[in-house]
Amino acid sequence: MRKKTGDLRTCTSSRASIQEMHLRAKELGIRTTFDRYQDQLPQCGFGMEGVCCQLCSHGPCRITAKAPRAICGATADTIAARNMLRLACHGLSAYCHQLEEAINTLKATAQGKTPYSIRAVDKLKDMAALLGLDTNKELNALAVELADAVTYELRKGTNEPLKLVEKLAPPARLEKWKALGIIPGGPLSELRDAMTMSMSNINTDYVSLLLTTMKLSIATGYMGLMATTNIQDIILGNPSIGVTEADLGVIDTETVNIVAHGHVPYVGAAVLNEIANNAELQAEARAAGAKGIKLYGSMDTGQELLQRLNDAGQGYAGQLGNWLTQELMVTTGAIDLVMMDLNCSIPGLKLAADKFHTKVVSVSHVLRMEGVDTIIDYEPEKVKEQAVELIRMAIAAYKNRGTVNAVHIPKNKSTVVAGVGIESLLSVLGGSLTPLLDVIKSGAIKGIATVVGCTNNRNGHDSASLRLIRELLKKDILVITSGCVSSGAQIEGLQRPEAAEMVGDNLKGICKALGIPPVLNFGSCVDIGRICLAVTAIANALGVDTSDLPVAASAPEYLEQKAVADGFFAVTFGLFTHLGPVPPVGGAPNVVKILTQDVEQLTGGKVCVEQDMAKAANLIEEHIVRKRKALGI
Amino acid sequence: MKRLYVIKEKCNGCMSCVVACQKAHAHSELYAPIRESEPARIYIQTVLNAPIPLACHHCEEPACVRACMSGAMQKDEVTGIVSNEGNAQQCVGCWMCVMVCPYGVISAKKDGDKKVAVKCDLCRHLGAPACVDACPSGAVVWMDETEAKPHRKGGIYI
Repeated sequence: MRKKTGDLRTCTSSRASIQEMHLRAKELGIRTTFDRYQDQLPQCGFGMEGVCCQLCSHGPCRITAKAPRAICGATADTIAARNMLRLACHGLSAYCHQLEEAINTLKATAQGKTPYSIRAVDKLKDMAALLGLDTNKELNALAVELADAVTYELRKGTNEPLKLVEKLAPPARLEKWKALGIIPGGPLSELRDAMTMSMSNINTDYVSLLLTTMKLSIATGYMGLMATTNIQDIILGNPSIGVTEADLGVIDTETVNIVAHGHVPYVGAAVLNEIANNAELQAEARAAGAKGIKLYGSMDTGQELLQRLNDAGQGYAGQLGNWLTQELMVTTGAIDLVMMDLNCSIPGLKLAADKFHTKVVSVSHVLRMEGVDTIIDYEPEKVKEQAVELIRMAIAAYKNRGTVNAVHIPKNKSTVVAGVGIESLLSVLGGSLTPLLDVIKSGAIKGIATVVGCTNNRNGHDSASLRLIRELLKKDILVITSGCVSSGAQIEGLQRPEAAEMVGDNLKGICKALGIPPVLNFGSCVDIGRICLAVTAIANALGVDTSDLPVAASAPEYLEQKAVADGFFAVTFGLFTHLGPVPPVGGAPNVVKILTQDVEQLTGGKVCVEQDMAKAANLIEEHIVRKRKALGI
Repeated sequence: MKRLYVIKEKCNGCMSCVVACQKAHAHSELYAPIRESEPARIYIQTVLNAPIPLACHHCEEPACVRACMSGAMQKDEVTGIVSNEGNAQQCVGCWMCVMVCPYGVISAKKDGDKKVAVKCDLCRHLGAPACVDACPSGAVVWMDETEAKPHRKGGIYI
């Protein structure tokens, strides 16, 4: 990135607080993701284009003009498609892990062994009904049955179609998927078959590999995303509108500060519960010289909690940031303990924490990190005691605050209106989707763009996503966010009703009339499931297929494998799907053609890889206008 | 006479040339040159988001030879190779050549107490540069000046 004269930025972030903290990190000799990215340049073109295969020991092979085939005879298309499938497998398995944790938590909660409770009774009954259970049973017994039924769905064979797909997918969509033969069975069995296929010399047909990736993505959508979201709602509460703050400026220098970082909110919710109700711990914190104890969120664990500020997220102290900012939140020197769960905790986080008093703890049995020897793996039955232990550790760490390096907190913070989901959206709209559908039909809102996913240096931290969101808002397109992209929008102040002043005239009027911000926060990356359910509800209300709607998806800064599975799901779900950076398939001409053109004939969705965000917004607008015309609105 | 040329449009930044260069000059037989202290003598710089391979041009009038205080850095009259190795005088590690090189392609190597400047020697011990053999995309090439002529209008620059 070339700098303009007078540009004092030292890293790719669009955020002032991060620029300030990056300078601070430099002073202290802390190297961050931003710096290591520069060290890695140039990045290998073969990897970028996805034409490098390292599966067997004849390799590594790479496709060039003089070697158009790998040693085994595989083409660039085979290699790229097979690698995409492997990435999607990783994504789906992480989602399955999260689903299984949700199931275990639901079961333990129903048996009265956890500090959580059955909060969303309607959702429990709805989901039980979908899986064919008798919903008249006593609630806790029903919850246990539901947990067992979802476990069965997760583990069953590939020959038994997933019930949730058959029940939740719009009928027209289901027909298309049936015709393609991509309705998945149990996700764990599908994963076994997909991993087998993608071994050396088993499935080398790129069309079949791509169809398998689509099949896995449907399992991702309905089990990994929607089932997980629903069960988490049952235990922790449906999203409900609440107000909180975001950015590093929310950190309180006078309290014991704990950060929940990752994707899974149970330990965070248990810690909030103890903070609110355990007077003994409060007294211990005061004895240590602190005014109190606060729990902040980072990444999606934070988004999960701030979606439920009136339920399990009560007392939540604010969202610090997303993936690229984890080292810099620690660099404030005011974080006493970081609880890491599931994915997205980087080794650099520990390196930064070592420059301070900050304690880093794994709270998930799948997460281990060099140098992290404090391990409190989440167990639903023990989480209450685990939360107490974590808070005590944080209080002990607090006593050492400032002894290694001084505290330095940027002033920046902004207000966030969070907690949008179907339920809260319906209550804001007066009980039905009609007001929203009416303004879409009238053209006051041209359409909806879901801007989701991670954050990434290659397109500039929170730079590509915010540019895209701003361009879309100017075009009267309502934006829904979830995942790490949400943090960027929150910190930019786009999730306040006052942000309506920044957007297109028509959309401004609607936001003011409905009292909603122009960018709606749907939560974490798992909450893409929530978005899919909302899109399905709109499609069903209009009696059309999802691919007919004036809706588009974008992951402008996608990073990891879960996002690959999500991206494929968006395409399979029938959405125009914009991706940045360009996924590693560029060197495989037939794969590129299928994903960017041919797949539209099959599912109605397709991939767009325009990396200029203003142009991408134009393409999204064109797509939305085309869909409006076809619908005659 | 054959020379090292770079067709920059063809480079995709895989750094195979860098690894091959380290391997060609490393003492170890094992394929682990990245972990060794032997610096590479060809570099990939990222310029405006594009990778550009850089190596010694073996200049007609080398600034490094003129700046060398010990006389170790010499241009071979027959092959044209500029090198501080294998000549009558020893490199003392004063880094004058590092400072004067207009292309920035000489690095400083510290081997225990011994300090020595390190630069491309066109792999004269091998007969042809290892980086050329290793380049999978035809960006780093070893060819005659007359062969290079048609490429002049393109991105060729060494």
